[in-house]
Amino acid sequence: MTATVAPTDDASPPEAGVLRVALLGNPNTGKTTLFNRLCGLRHKTSNFPGTTQESRVGFTCIGSRDVEVIDLPGVYSLELDQSESSVCRGVLAGQTAPKGEAAQPPDAVCIVVDASNLARNLAIVGEALRRRLATVVVINMQDIAARRGLRIDVERLSEALGCEVVASQARSGEGIAAIREALTRARIPTDTPPGDEDGLVAWVDRVYEKAIAPASMDVARASFTDRLDRAFTHPIIGLVLFAAVMTGLFWVLFRLATVPMDLIDGVFGSIAAGIESVLPPGFLADMLANGVVAGVGATVIFLPQIVLLFLLISLLEDTGYLARAAFVMDRALRPFGLAGHSFVPLLSSHACALPGIMSARMIPDRRQRLATILVAPFMTCSARLPVYALLVTVLFPGRPGMQALAFTGSYALGVVVALLSALLARRTILRGEGRPMALELPAYRLPSLKSALLTTWDRSLVFLRKAGTVILAISVVLWWLGSYPIVDPPEDVASMRAQASALVATSPEDAAALVAEADAAEASHAVRASFMGRIGRTVQPVFEPLGYDWQLSIGVMASFAAREVFVSTMAVVVSGQDDAEDEGVLTALRTAQRSDGTPIFTTATAWSLLVYYVLAMQCLPTLAVTAREAGGWKWAGLQLGWMTGVAYVLAMVVTQTLRLLGVS
Amino acid sequence: MMPADTTHPDSTAQVRLCDLRVGQSARIHADTLDAEDAATIRAMGLRPNASVSLCRLGSPCIVRVDGRGGCGCRIGLARPLAERLLVTPLH
Repeated sequence: MTATVAPTDDASPPEAGVLRVALLGNPNTGKTTLFNRLCGLRHKTSNFPGTTQESRVGFTCIGSRDVEVIDLPGVYSLELDQSESSVCRGVLAGQTAPKGEAAQPPDAVCIVVDASNLARNLAIVGEALRRRLATVVVINMQDIAARRGLRIDVERLSEALGCEVVASQARSGEGIAAIREALTRARIPTDTPPGDEDGLVAWVDRVYEKAIAPASMDVARASFTDRLDRAFTHPIIGLVLFAAVMTGLFWVLFRLATVPMDLIDGVFGSIAAGIESVLPPGFLADMLANGVVAGVGATVIFLPQIVLLFLLISLLEDTGYLARAAFVMDRALRPFGLAGHSFVPLLSSHACALPGIMSARMIPDRRQRLATILVAPFMTCSARLPVYALLVTVLFPGRPGMQALAFTGSYALGVVVALLSALLARRTILRGEGRPMALELPAYRLPSLKSALLTTWDRSLVFLRKAGTVILAISVVLWWLGSYPIVDPPEDVASMRAQASALVATSPEDAAALVAEADAAEASHAVRASFMGRIGRTVQPVFEPLGYDWQLSIGVMASFAAREVFVSTMAVVVSGQDDAEDEGVLTALRTAQRSDGTPIFTTATAWSLLVYYVLAMQCLPTLAVTAREAGGWKWAGLQLGWMTGVAYVLAMVVTQTLRLLGVS
Repeated sequence: MMPADTTHPDSTAQVRLCDLRVGQSARIHADTLDAEDAATIRAMGLRPNASVSLCRLGSPCIVRVDGRGGCGCRIGLARPLAERLLVTPLH
């Protein structure tokens, strides 16, 4: 336990200027729901400097007064030796502030308390009151308390605490107006709880005794929770239900995301076409259409899946099920040196590793957190899907059943290698006993769609900002490497165009076909002669043991920073077109041949590429986030080296084994 | 401090939390945890004198912290923590 901050002077908050309010409370008390109710979309998300703790600062007006609300991390105690508690202590003492804000004590503290768990929540109220800041206590989640037959006497509680107390149900909006009014007249509490732990416990008991009206627990409700928990946390039934929930989640994800993804693809395609038709041909038009717009489109196209995943996870979290899933998964993850807390980051990484790695902050044990961050990108993210789609089509043309099996196998391979890698890390560089899990299992309840939508909006913006900027820059660089130097078209292209001109009058269809063939040949030649083409040829010996020729090497190199680039790069290299959705292009890719007549995609190379793309680290934004969240670029370097090394070795094993077996 | 092999707890002896029967209530007596774990679970409500009942046995187990008047919460607890929490069973 750390020392308590000495009491400050007893001045009340200023009557004018921006009122700065800090929202404090235990986890699962509806603090974020209240923040969303108070500020809605008017907020910004950043980090507390020098920490990985996310800070949300919201803005609202109460009457004519501007109010700034700081959403502090949920903590069980201000005095714990944990990063979240340290941030809360710092903000209340005026030593820490969200990025870009001046460090000064808040004008008022709003402590959110779970009405159904008042005794425990009063402890943090006592710790906060000791800080001698203007305080308002919000008794939230009255619905759950009422269901349990609990009755809290707000007036008597207010008397006992010496500050204003407001009853609310933030989810339905009940009591929000009263909270807003109370914040403007918040005063320093008249009571100062004792500073020692035993004294605080006795104080909590006294306050609780005064505030709570004796009532019997709702036995029916308790047994309802018991019954649900018996199923959801059962070692076998719990796992089966978990598998069913996850199957449903991913089914909804992939089913519903297709339509907006196609729409986004179409919109960005139209924008690129519009730019090319408006601007004169040349550097600017080419860079804007094929660099900037294509780059932004390549990122934004995954947004529907990410939004849906966040929404579904938020809703599941709100029901209380996600904590049970983490509980069940603790048993499965512990043998690999991870904990139940690692489950949500690993689950989120199936949409995108960026939010997955960011959500690893909730893992209390440092070693388990680092291990989770290191292996999270092994999970199959959305960006891998176009590559999987191409390769399973190459492997099993016209056999959707086998394609689905190969798809599932790819997901499974990522999970297995992630778990084994975590085990290796925990036995070597992150050796040591992990902190055993202590996880609150919140009450089951119907989820709030509004709250989930606001959380989704917030996290999606973070994703777009982080991924969009970096991928955009990478895309422009890749475009330049793939487009320059500009070379003259090959001689046969010139003769094809001449033939086409001669045929225009007599056979316009043949002429058009010849022009298309000439365009494709010219584009293909340009890519081969580009810097990227040269790099592909230079690095090809490295990929020789994997069976990749120089053309595949270009694809692999181009997708170093963003794996989804592989499909469009291969389409350009092989066919001179970049529309991988086009069935003709997919066929061209599948049947593409080298100059000696052998196929580029043999069975062995396709399997090898599939393994490589499941396992390799090919995402610069992920490396940047790993460096930030793990606390240094050495972790990002380790992630890059390990993932790419494992991918290379296993892909080589696949190629060589299949060759030995006579499969090519 | 920890009772050895208490597989049949009676109502007065101190036993490990994980030695309770499912549904059995007890009062927390002490813990033999390291300072950080002890501080965390105390802050979560598992402090000396807290009334608890075991909802699920196993690894991890589920324990309910029973506050007066129906107040309380449920906590999923890893086996190593449940083994180091000493409780006095209640009738």
